[in-house]
Amino acid sequence: MPYHTFKCSECIPERAMHAVIKGPGEDLTSCLPLGYLNTIPGTISERGCAFCGAKHVIGAPMKDVIHLCHGPVGCTYDTWHTKRYISDNDNFQLKYAWATDMKEKHVVFGAEKLLKQNIIDCFKAFPNIKRMSIYQTCASALIGDDINAIAKKVMDEMPDVDIFVCNAPGFGGPSQSGGHHKINIAWVDQKVGTFEPEITSKYVINYVGDYNIQGDVEIMVDYFRRMGIQVLSTFTGNGSYDDLRGMHLAHLNVLECARSSEYICNELRKRYGIPRLDIDGFGFEPLSASLMKVAMFFGLEKEAQSIINEETARWKPELDWYAKRLKGKRICLWPGGSKLWHWAHVIEEEMGVKVVSVYSKFGHQGDFEKGVARCSEGALAIDDPNELEGLEAMEMLKPDIILTGVRPGEVSKKMRIPYLNIHAYHNGPYKGFEGWVRLARDLYNAIYSPIHQLSGVDISKDEMPTDKGFLTRRMISDVNIIEDETTPSSERPYTGECDIVSKLRGKTYPGSPIQLGSQQQLQLDSQQQLDGTV
Amino acid sequence: MDDIMKDRIEQLVDYIMKWCLWQFHSRAWDREKQNEGILTKTMQLLCEEPVDLETPADRCYWVDAVFLAKGFKNTYPWLATMDKKEIKLLMQGLKDRIDYLTIKGSLNKELTNPLY
Repeated sequence: MPYHTFKCSECIPERAMHAVIKGPGEDLTSCLPLGYLNTIPGTISERGCAFCGAKHVIGAPMKDVIHLCHGPVGCTYDTWHTKRYISDNDNFQLKYAWATDMKEKHVVFGAEKLLKQNIIDCFKAFPNIKRMSIYQTCASALIGDDINAIAKKVMDEMPDVDIFVCNAPGFGGPSQSGGHHKINIAWVDQKVGTFEPEITSKYVINYVGDYNIQGDVEIMVDYFRRMGIQVLSTFTGNGSYDDLRGMHLAHLNVLECARSSEYICNELRKRYGIPRLDIDGFGFEPLSASLMKVAMFFGLEKEAQSIINEETARWKPELDWYAKRLKGKRICLWPGGSKLWHWAHVIEEEMGVKVVSVYSKFGHQGDFEKGVARCSEGALAIDDPNELEGLEAMEMLKPDIILTGVRPGEVSKKMRIPYLNIHAYHNGPYKGFEGWVRLARDLYNAIYSPIHQLSGVDISKDEMPTDKGFLTRRMISDVNIIEDETTPSSERPYTGECDIVSKLRGKTYPGSPIQLGSQQQLQLDSQQQLDGTV
Repeated sequence: MDDIMKDRIEQLVDYIMKWCLWQFHSRAWDREKQNEGILTKTMQLLCEEPVDLETPADRCYWVDAVFLAKGFKNTYPWLATMDKKEIKLLMQGLKDRIDYLTIKGSLNKELTNPLY
């Protein structure tokens, strides 16, 4: 059997089926860890809670909204700011945090009055903001405060405001994923269909499941707009509250992170007949295919091909430069949810690295199906690992770098293994063609950093050579690189700018370029695709 | 089914598992619809038969099918040596195998959850 037992977890038999090693000939009917189960007491899980999943991951990237937590201030503080989901309105949603600051007396006597006063105070403090999300926490859920009723009262008294209530207390699921589910369903139940945004194109999509980490959404939206597609809403990175109320008017839901937001796409499909197209926005080949698929849905193949050609010509030589130097490096791909399957295969294909492990703290078995299917033989897949298991895995696998979040990342640094922050990113955005090169650049910089020559020296006993300096990255990485006449002269390290997102804001785009194709035209297009003539 | 056919089906399965996402929707009934919709249209494209594009859902299946058919043709030159009857047999075998891996033989305990 492919199940892997960590030595440190031998005393916790319930962990027995939470890790697998993909062996030769294994497939998904024999090799799949358990997932999305209640946390096992004693494992010291590093998961987040359902409130965090609802507020911190999904709700709070909405940019023109007061995000009010109805609970103790600690819940608010711990879900503020640590993820870089920027926005084009001067990061309003990142700059402030709002809490009702519930205390013991409110637990005893109720906190509805406190909540109502806080809502009114918030709108007075930010008179230009007319939209609010209120997030229930464990404390306010357990005392039974009726947040929906209070929100309705305020909306009756202040007709120019609109309030969304998310009842996803921390205990509302095994992990943050329970909160993803609850806020998806709450949004479609409460808000979708209550506003009609202006439709400006024949081709209208919702771009779903991207949280604009360092500008990811804005990069993707730029591609869609260059094709003539109207991105009606972005769920939820850089998303506008009222645009998201109009999601029901789109022709297609383009879904990036199925883990966090497949629920709303499924409901929009059931209730409004809007199809769901799952895409991969990372990596040259998958991204090119994804853009083309969206384009084909509308009959915009030429527009998509033009973007793909332009971007590939500009950025592929830079990706190739890094791929040569990253070849064979061993990585642990330990992200939150979707990157474990978005990247498991393509990062090997396009950067030459070897994924030796994938893990997720809150992924479901469906995520592990995708990850295990895509990663190579020998990879270790772990569900909800604790810190000791992470340490044991690093000792066993000896990776060159860990791709993960801040908390496990700091642990890996103590093991003298570099890490790259792929939750909030180091120097993103990582999405898009240029973004993929930026990821390669950050991987290269981390793996070949000169600090590793010094960090292992014990200055209390080791002798420090004073007659020579340390080796630079290029001196280390280029030892085995042979550059001759066969090396394309265009290959080079990254030449992009530090900020590649701001320039997209305020950019103008051409109108809808062509009419939606007829069925016959689409048939013809499909044949041309197959023939390679498009 | 002979060994050559079985081997070819496994190659196609491998391609789908590496490059596609559509086969992993979260519920069994949804996977059945996805597998049926996309693999049927892929077979029709490979056999140069007309493809129904009436509804938005059809068009969505179709774009994935076009990419799959194109990927198969580019990756597996032996496909060009098969006639339409053989391709239909191959695609039926592929559909059965994908159904088994993602639905009938799947270890995913959430597939039968009645809610999304």
